[in-house]
Amino acid sequence: MRDRPDGPTLAVLAQAAAARGEDGALVARALAIAEREAAAGEKPLQSCHAALVGLYGDGALAALLRRFADDIAAGRFDAPGPAREAALRLLWAMTRQKLSEANPEYLAAAGS
Amino acid sequence: MRAALATFLAEATGARSAAVKELRLLPNGAVQENWLVASAFEGGTLDGEQRLVLRTNAATALGIGLGRTEEFAVQRAVYRAGVAAAEPLVLCASAAVIGRPFYVMRWLPGEAAGARIAAGELGGDRDRLLARLAAELARLHAIRPTFAALSCLGAPPADPARHRLDQQERLLAEDADPHPVAAWGIRWLRCHLPRAVPPVLCHGDFRTGNFLADAEGLVAVLDWEFAAWSDPAEDLGWFCLGCWRFGADAQEAGGIGRRDVFYRAYAQASGRSVDPERVRWWEVMAALRWLVLALRQRDRCLIGGEPSLDLALTGRRPSECELEILKLTGVRGDARPS
Repeated sequence: MRDRPDGPTLAVLAQAAAARGEDGALVARALAIAEREAAAGEKPLQSCHAALVGLYGDGALAALLRRFADDIAAGRFDAPGPAREAALRLLWAMTRQKLSEANPEYLAAAGS
Repeated sequence: MRAALATFLAEATGARSAAVKELRLLPNGAVQENWLVASAFEGGTLDGEQRLVLRTNAATALGIGLGRTEEFAVQRAVYRAGVAAAEPLVLCASAAVIGRPFYVMRWLPGEAAGARIAAGELGGDRDRLLARLAAELARLHAIRPTFAALSCLGAPPADPARHRLDQQERLLAEDADPHPVAAWGIRWLRCHLPRAVPPVLCHGDFRTGNFLADAEGLVAVLDWEFAAWSDPAEDLGWFCLGCWRFGADAQEAGGIGRRDVFYRAYAQASGRSVDPERVRWWEVMAALRWLVLALRQRDRCLIGGEPSLDLALTGRRPSECELEILKLTGVRGDARPS
C-alpha cells in the first residue's frame, strides 16, 4: 500500500545524503517520513488488508491490491452499489493514510 | 571539461578564442542538469563577456521526454515565435565535448522558486502575472504541426487526449507496484474522453516553478523537454493542478490567482474559448502524468543508482497526485463520485 522507498530505506538514504553534505531540509523531510511511518506501524496495512478481504475474501495484501487495481481498470466498480461505495472509501482511506505519512502539510493545505 | 567546452564554443560562434571562467551546477534541475557558464569570447557572434547556461542530460535518464537536440529545436522555434524563453545559441548533439549532448542558451535573471512566487515574493502583481502567463501560452499554442522546424517532434496525434491516456496507461503498467487510485483515474479518464481537437504545440510542463520571475513579473518560460503536439487545454490543466500551488491551495491557477481570471486571460489572448470540463479532464490527466513521472524519478535512484535523496523522496509524492485524482473525480471519503 505504501509507496517506495519505505521508511527504513529512506532513513538509510537520508544518512548517506547527510554524509555527502546534501540539503539538510531534504534529509529532515526523509527522516520525518520514516518516523511517521514507524509510528503508524502495521496498523494502516492491516486496515487496508481488512477492507480488501471484505471485497474479495482471504489473500495476501500485495495480491489483493493488484487484483483491486486490475478490477478498477476493468470497470468492475463502475456500477453504483455497495461494492463501488466500498472501493471508493478504500481508495480515499489509503490516499489519506499515505499522505499523512509522506506529506501531512499537503493534506492539511488541501483541506481533506 | 572547461577547455574542451571553451574550444567548442569558440568554434561554434566563430570566435578567435573563448575562455570558460566559471562552471557551476544550478539548482532546481529535477530532470536535466543546467550549468552556469561564465565565459569570455574574443570575436565571433558572442564577442565579450557572456553569462550562458549549458543544459545537458542528468547522469540517469527518465526515459521519457525530448532529447537535447529536439529540445533545442523546440526552444529555438518558440523563441523565434516570440514566446518568452531564453535564446538558445548552440547545440552539441554528440557526447564528444563533455561526455553528453548539450546545448547552450543565454542566461537570464530571475528565479524559478515556486514557493516564493506563490507567496507573492516574486512575480509582481498577481493578475498581471497570470495574464502574462496566459499570453505566453496563447503565443505558444499558435504554433501548429505544419511548422517545418519542428518535424523532429513527429506526426501529431489525431486524438491528443486518447494518445496521452494510452501512453500513461502503458507507462504505469511498467511499474512493479499496483496503483489502485491511478487505475481509478485512468478508468475515469477513459469514460470521459473529450472530443478530439486539432493539436498545437504544448509545453507539457507549464507550471509555477518552471518559469523565471523577478519582482516585476515573468522573465522567461523554462524547461521545454516535455513539449509535444497536444490539446491546448493540456497546458491549462497542468498549470492549475493542485500539486503546483506550493501551499497556496485557494489560488487554483498555479498558486498565483483565480482560475477564472487565468481562463479569461487565456481566452482573450488566444481567441479560444476555455471549456472548464475539458480542462478538468486534462487536470486529472496532469495528476496521473505527474504520478507516473514521480515513479520514474524514484527509479533513477532506486534502480538507476543515482545517489539523490531528492529523487528518492519523489517516490513518496504519488499520494499527492492520488488526492488530486480523487478530488477532481468527485470522490470523498463519505460521498459518491460524480
